[in-house]
Amino acid sequence: MITSGTLVTDLRDSLWRLIMGLALGGITGVIIGLLTGRKKKIKNILSPIIQILRPLPPVAIIPLVIVWFGIDDGAKIFSIAFAIFFPVWLNTHIGVSRIAREFLWSAKLLTASSLKIFCKVIFPSALPFIIAGVRMSIAIAFVMVFVSELSGASSGLGYRISITSLAYRIDGMIAGLIVLGALGALTDQLFIFATNKLFPWLKFSTK
Amino acid sequence: MNHISVKNLTVNYENYCALKDVNFEVAKGEFVAIVGKSGSGKTTFLQALAGFIPFSGEVIMPKNIGIVFQNYAAFPWLTVSENIAFGLDEKNNNEQTKIIAEHLKLAELTDKKDKYPAELSGGQTQRVALARSLAHDPEVLLMDEPYGALDAYTRDKMQQWLLDVWTIHKKTIIFVTHNIEEAIFLADRVLVLNNCNFIKEYIVPFPRNRNAAIKFSPEFNKLRQEIFSALNHTKLE
Repeated sequence: MITSGTLVTDLRDSLWRLIMGLALGGITGVIIGLLTGRKKKIKNILSPIIQILRPLPPVAIIPLVIVWFGIDDGAKIFSIAFAIFFPVWLNTHIGVSRIAREFLWSAKLLTASSLKIFCKVIFPSALPFIIAGVRMSIAIAFVMVFVSELSGASSGLGYRISITSLAYRIDGMIAGLIVLGALGALTDQLFIFATNKLFPWLKFSTK
Repeated sequence: MNHISVKNLTVNYENYCALKDVNFEVAKGEFVAIVGKSGSGKTTFLQALAGFIPFSGEVIMPKNIGIVFQNYAAFPWLTVSENIAFGLDEKNNNEQTKIIAEHLKLAELTDKKDKYPAELSGGQTQRVALARSLAHDPEVLLMDEPYGALDAYTRDKMQQWLLDVWTIHKKTIIFVTHNIEEAIFLADRVLVLNNCNFIKEYIVPFPRNRNAAIKFSPEFNKLRQEIFSALNHTKLE
């Protein structure tokens, strides 16, 4: 796989789908979670819809998504984003709605700016929850990358494991699984490293 | 002239009355302590004064107030300097830098300005919270059992530190505590809250520039026993 160059191509394509799916689902989940967690009207409108969609197994929507988006990357990215939206949304929603009222009270006495309170108090207060949601979603995204590449794909680690399985190439399957596993672990560690660098106070809150 | 005036303050929760027809007046620069058992309404009283909870009655308070809580005192995601700077939006950069430096010195935390609250002790965190409130230059400071979670030694040190700070700033302070000794040591006046209202008021006779030695005097002990009796001869509803 290394010498033929397929590993690099598969890795590149899977990573692209993973990053795009994570970005799409993660950003949407955080934004909607912030809104439903703080604005009761938005929560009342969106929560029932989200709660209906949430129990759907993400794998079950893949055939429908292929019909909508075709067999290109769009369908795979959407499936990944759909799967990770819910844990990110739920964690963000809980984090934002459970902020200690003492923090809000202190902030309101010190500043009149709602934007500042949102950016400097509400969002950082919810950050441990958001990060937990995103970290959980990274693992889910790897599952979805694999599953979404099983059908309608011509490259990617999932696709490679699938076709080596059809050819009874056990070595190829194991190689694909090792790469997928290593990539998952590496991504998780990179995520922890990045969050600790960006938000150094978090390492104290998770002691 | 009264700095704070409260008339017929009543706060009702779903199943019970937390405060009923409370009247309260505080002069400018006065240090008033409120003592009471758990659930007596001390915190509710402060929350009503600050306008955090709905109430009936009349509360006349200056608009610019500061508050220090026992828990959630400082924002954990901001450094000591950033916490102190939080309420200084209206100041320009030079003024901000000056105020931050002054209050870091006041809180004796200049060498810890870039630390996060989780890296500080309980006493230091409370000093950050108080410095943050004072940096905003409030007219009234509300303190809700700020030393409730501290050990006895740190608590004693913090009490002396607060008195020193108060001597400099002369803010009007409403200090809620369940610790009678702390209330007498710090305040000009101690009010006992029970059964939804103030049941007794004590004027603290000790002159200012107090130090911990007065806690061992017979007068101090007598006053402590009187307040203790007042608290214990009433039953919580």
